Amino acid sequence: MQRGLQTLIRLALLALVLGLWEVLPRIGAVNPMLLPPLSDVATTLWGLLGRANVREAIAVTTLEVITAFAIAVPLGAAAGILLAENEYLGAIFKPMLFYVFSIPKSIFLPLFILAFGIGFGQKVGYAAFTTTFVVMMSATAAVESVRGDYILVARSFGATPAQIIWRIYVPCMMPVLLETLRISMIFNFTGVMIAEMYASRTGIGHLISNWGENFQLPQLFAGIIILSAVAIAFNETVRRLEARVGAWRQ
Amino acid sequence: MAAVSMNGSARAPASDIALEVRGLSHVYEAGDRAVPALQDIDMSVRAGRFIVIVGPSGCGKTSLLMMMAGLRAHSAGTLLCQGRPIPTPDPTRVGVVFQEASLFPWLTTLDNIEFPLSLRGVPAEERRRRAEAMLSLVGLKGFGARYPHELSGGMKQRVSIARGLVQDPPVLLMDEPFAALDEQTRMTMGHELLRIWSTTSKTVVFITHSLTEAVYLADEVYVMSPRPGRIIDHIEITLPRPRTYEMMATDVFGRLRERIWQQIRHAQ
Ligand SMILES: Nc1ncnc2c1ncn2[C@@H]1O[C@H](COP(=O)(O)OP(=O)(O)OP(=O)(O)O)[C@@H](O)[C@H]1O
Ligand SMILES: [Mg+2]
Repeated sequence: MQRGLQTLIRLALLALVLGLWEVLPRIGAVNPMLLPPLSDVATTLWGLLGRANVREAIAVTTLEVITAFAIAVPLGAAAGILLAENEYLGAIFKPMLFYVFSIPKSIFLPLFILAFGIGFGQKVGYAAFTTTFVVMMSATAAVESVRGDYILVARSFGATPAQIIWRIYVPCMMPVLLETLRISMIFNFTGVMIAEMYASRTGIGHLISNWGENFQLPQLFAGIIILSAVAIAFNETVRRLEARVGAWRQ
Repeated sequence: MAAVSMNGSARAPASDIALEVRGLSHVYEAGDRAVPALQDIDMSVRAGRFIVIVGPSGCGKTSLLMMMAGLRAHSAGTLLCQGRPIPTPDPTRVGVVFQEASLFPWLTTLDNIEFPLSLRGVPAEERRRRAEAMLSLVGLKGFGARYPHELSGGMKQRVSIARGLVQDPPVLLMDEPFAALDEQTRMTMGHELLRIWSTTSKTVVFITHSLTEAVYLADEVYVMSPRPGRIIDHIEITLPRPRTYEMMATDVFGRLRERIWQQIRHAQ
């Protein structure tokens, strides 16, 4: 009952926004040059999806996002856990990590272009770079969330070091790690977008930035819709995964 | 209930001494400072006795318990559990119950109790059976599927006791297990513990700051001095068993409590 009502309100709000998007430019309340009516954008979107270069751009962006994610998560997690677990390494690298974390990563983008040239490598490299930091910070926090007395209890029952890792560390860190996965995907996607918009020959980010520069607003809005769809698809996929992996805890 | 004393009969009654501590000392190396924590501790705990250790904060009670559990090394002296040294934790000889129940929040009550068994690869069916038996022993039948956050403080400590007993160790070490509970719950838990103890015939070493709890529970009370901790008194509690709440109002109880208090006070 409650939830049904909430869904209803949500749908009503969505309909209202979409309705205003259509009506306001049509009656001239908003400059249609700046905000083309929804139906125009929808027509453009349909046309764009039929074009080979747009499809390719979507495929390229998706591949970049997945590749960067696949590099950054294991790398960041391993580094973060190592820093949290090894007091010596932690003492040396943790302060440095905090400094580097506070620097906006986008200023390193030109370096990636110099190193990889404009293309797949540069975009994946940059996104993986930014994401690794996020994963590393969260992984460190995850390890530190493991309470010492859990380990003491396990030891008192004769747990081996391997058992302490699998039976205490892993389940204890799991909620934080799953959360990390989702947040780092957002950073990862942002990384790919920035790289594509900054200097690229393909990808959704590249198309959007071009359309913006050429004042092709229906295309620009259509691009934003495509991008949002891809981003939401990624987020939902990770969230599903989160629920699946977390299910054994019930 | 059968599982409770399963190994009880198999245990050799040959050695009547469950815990033997001879000239035990310990010095902590904290950076470049040496902190003498325990000095020349002698204890001889007969099997099946309920031993309480009291002493001022920081006198080394927890340290001593950790050593009895094989969780910490000592600098000098001998410590024998069931006649053998205990260099590493041995859950078949010693069970431990900590101050904070420290149940694993990601496991249900039953899974928490089964945890020590699962570490040793006991088959799932037997694990469940023994855990269920422990659960009813501590009076929590029907709560097996609950998660720790769904239990009250007292219930959590019951689960913790069940977990400490599930491997049926002859010795149970308890470090201020009821300190975080309110006075009423604490009393009830003390009473419960005595009931469990009398049905399982364990040797219990119990640390507390509450002198009333000490006298109420113990067969013998060891009193420790401030750091470095030494044994400054060893008192037989002659009150009959089973203990009742009414005994707390008796003269004997008051005198015993007073004697412990004087020892602690004058040692400061
Ligand atoms: N790992 C350690 N390293 C260095 N010093 C320690 C360590 N553990 C305990 N100590 C010191 O040893 C002394 C005894 O500590 P312990 O925890 O055994 O006391 P306690 O009697 O249990 O105190 P409380 O009643 O407050 O629980 C304290 O002075 C403490 O600071
Ligand atoms: Mg203590």
